[in-house]
Amino acid sequence: MTRVVLVPGALALLPSYGGLEDPVADLRAACLDAVRWLGADPRVVAGAQGATVATYLATEVSRLPSRLASSHLRTSASLAPQPSSDGVLFVANGSAKRTEKAPGHLDDRAMAFDDALRAALLAGDLGDLDEELARELWADVDSLVRLGQEIDVDPASVQVDYDDDPYGVQYWVMRMEGRWR
Amino acid sequence: MSLRLGRHEFADDATLMMAIVNRTPDSFYDQGATWAEDKAFERVSLVVAQGAEMVDIGGIKAAPGVEIGAAEEKERVVDFVARVREAFPQLVISVDTWRAEVGGAVCEAGADVLNDAWGGADPELVDVAAQHGAAIICTHTGGATPRTRPYRVEYDDVVRSAIDDTVAYAERALAAGVAQESIVIDPAHDFGKNTFHSLELTRRLDEMVATGWPVLVSLSNKDFVGETLGLPVGERLTGTLAATAVCALAGARIYRVHEVVETRQTVDMVWTIAGRRPPQRAIRGLQ
Repeated sequence: MTRVVLVPGALALLPSYGGLEDPVADLRAACLDAVRWLGADPRVVAGAQGATVATYLATEVSRLPSRLASSHLRTSASLAPQPSSDGVLFVANGSAKRTEKAPGHLDDRAMAFDDALRAALLAGDLGDLDEELARELWADVDSLVRLGQEIDVDPASVQVDYDDDPYGVQYWVMRMEGRWR
Repeated sequence: MSLRLGRHEFADDATLMMAIVNRTPDSFYDQGATWAEDKAFERVSLVVAQGAEMVDIGGIKAAPGVEIGAAEEKERVVDFVARVREAFPQLVISVDTWRAEVGGAVCEAGADVLNDAWGGADPELVDVAAQHGAAIICTHTGGATPRTRPYRVEYDDVVRSAIDDTVAYAERALAAGVAQESIVIDPAHDFGKNTFHSLELTRRLDEMVATGWPVLVSLSNKDFVGETLGLPVGERLTGTLAATAVCALAGARIYRVHEVVETRQTVDMVWTIAGRRPPQRAIRGLQ
C-alpha cells in the first residue's frame, strides 16, 4: 500500500512569509506530522506554488526532530514515521470563496462544493470532480484529479488531521493509503 | 553589535525604547509633572506597561537654570533609582548625569547605564562606569559646557565632528575598562547644535551607524523639530516620529523618548520595512 497525504498550498506555511506570530500554527503542525508519516523524500504532485510548499514541508520534516514537529500533534500520535517510502504528497485545497473576507469574496456555491469534495476524499472516490466549478471557486484541485486517476484509495484508511477554513479557504490535511492503478 | 546594558543583554537586532523620567521641577516637556517622587514612580510604571525596555532618570534639566550641585542631584535620583531597581528588576535603568560622583552613587543603587548627555565633561565618568560594569552613552556636544545653549556654533562638518568625538569618547571608555558591548554613541541632537546641524545629523545618521558602535538618538519633542515645523512644545509628536523614522531606517538602536507607544510603533514599522524585523502576523494574500 502506498501512503498518501493531502496538504493545502497555503503560502503562509513558507518561512519566507513568516511573521513574529504564526497565523497557521495548527495547520503547520498537522502538515508536518502528516508529511513525517509519509517518510523521507515523498513524491510530490502539485502545481508550481504547491510544489514550493511541499518542498518546504518535506525539508522541514527531515530537519526537525520529531518531538518538535509533533508538539501540536492532535490525532496521530500512534502513527509511527517510516524511514523512507514511496509515499506521495498531494497539494490541493478547497474553495477560496467561502466568506466575505475570503481572497475570492463569498460565493454561495463554495460550501456545497467543498462539502462534496470532502465527501469524495473520504470515500476515496474523486472521479466526478467538477474542474470548471473548481476554477470558478478558486479551488486548487488539479492534483486531486491525478490522485483520483492514479491511486485507488482505501476509504477505511482515510484520516482527517485538519479540516477548517480560518481565512476563507478550505484546508484539509488528510492521510490515506491506496494502490497505484 | 549586541548590547550589554549593566545586568541586561539584548540581541544585535533589538531596538530599545528608553523612556524619559524627569526628577526635576522644570524640564522643558513635562514642566515638573514627575517632580514628586511618587509621580515619577507612576511614570516608570506607566512606561514599563507600555513596553519600554529602559528608563532614563534625570535630576537636572538640560537647559540653563538654578545650579544644582552633586549633593542635590544625588538626593533627587539615588534613592529613586534604588526604588525602581527593586520594583522592576527586568528594567534597564539609565541615569542622565555628567558627574562621576553621581554616577558612582546611582550605580551603587542599581543603575545599569550612565547617560552622559554632556559629552565627557567629567573625565572620570568612564572610570565609574568601568568599576560598576555599567554601560555608558557617549554623546557629542561640540565641547559645550553642561547646561548651556548653543550660541553661534558652527562646524566644518557636524557629522564628522559627531563621529570623531563620540568614537574618541567610546575608545576612551573602552580603554578605561568599559565593555565594548556596553558603549553607545549619541549625536545629541540640539546639544551644541542649531536646527540645521540636528537636521543634517538626522539625514546622515547612517554614517554614525557605520562606525559599528550602537547609536542612541534623543529626538523627542526637541527644538529642532519645533523650529522645523513651527510648532511649540506639545505639538511636536508627528515631527518627532518623522525624525525617528529616518533614524530607524539608518539603524539607530536606542530611542530616548517621551511617547513610548508611538515611538515603538514607528520604529517597528521602519525596522520591518528595512527587512530587519518580520511583520507581527502576515496572512493577507498568503492563505
